[in-house]
Amino acid sequence: MTAVGAALASAVVASSFDDGSSLTAAIDEAPLVRVADIEADEGAPALGVYTQLTDTGHVCVWEAVSAASRRGGGCNTVDDPLNGQPVSFTLSYDGGPAPVDVRSATVFGLALSEVAGVRILMSDGSWRAVKLKKARVGADEFKAFGYRFRKSDLKSGNGPVAVVAFAASGAEIGRQTTGIG
Amino acid sequence: MLSRKARLPMRRFAIAVAVLASLLISSTALAAYQYAPPRQWSPGATAGSTYSPNWLANYFMTYGSGYDKTVTFIRNTNYGWYNTKRGTADYLETYAPFDGTYKAHCVAHAWFWGSCNVR
Repeated sequence: MTAVGAALASAVVASSFDDGSSLTAAIDEAPLVRVADIEADEGAPALGVYTQLTDTGHVCVWEAVSAASRRGGGCNTVDDPLNGQPVSFTLSYDGGPAPVDVRSATVFGLALSEVAGVRILMSDGSWRAVKLKKARVGADEFKAFGYRFRKSDLKSGNGPVAVVAFAASGAEIGRQTTGIG
Repeated sequence: MLSRKARLPMRRFAIAVAVLASLLISSTALAAYQYAPPRQWSPGATAGSTYSPNWLANYFMTYGSGYDKTVTFIRNTNYGWYNTKRGTADYLETYAPFDGTYKAHCVAHAWFWGSCNVR
């Protein structure tokens, strides 16, 4: 009976991994650390960028009004927190799905500590620089960022094409497309 | 052959395991509704939950990292997208707006294996 009970309990626990319940429970428990700020703009509130290290071994990066408020973002395993890239980000927006209907948009994420600069390439060929702030997550050092797109860019359909990381020399060391713009 | 006295603790343990298992199953079911069970996704593939005023969060989980995807909530009145998140994190989550009735919606922008869940 003990073996059957243990097997049943294991099956139940295993099933909870399939729908992410263990990670969502860990997210609810782990403390959040504010690592960057996103300015308010024309009715859109100021936001914080938060990191979180869960006991399931995930590094999460969130955007939220406060540590206690509802949040959105993503998590990767602690052994590959940036998906093997020098910079990892989440694009966040309200409105759409057509780009012309987007009312507000932000981008936030983490870069490796050796990244000296992160800039956003827009669809009209212009660049938007983002501020980087040192952020420690567990034993690892990163640079955190958050950026709110200008209303004028959104209204004119000038969307973000890629988030690009640069070394101190100015050389491009990584580029991730946004899939839009 | 065990005596009745000796079998009693084992029976209690078995009942406790059964109760614990059903509690875990119930809490798992309450915690998340898998509106798109684990499957292979292709670019442009979508899935959506039912509409509800009670959804809290919508998340897309992938098996493996670096896959582009979107999660959002769609309002039942104007079908606009709210609190949309797009990224390549293994686990991508957004939260439901406080007012109104919404459905959780997820979109794949690449080939990968994953599931969409709402709670």
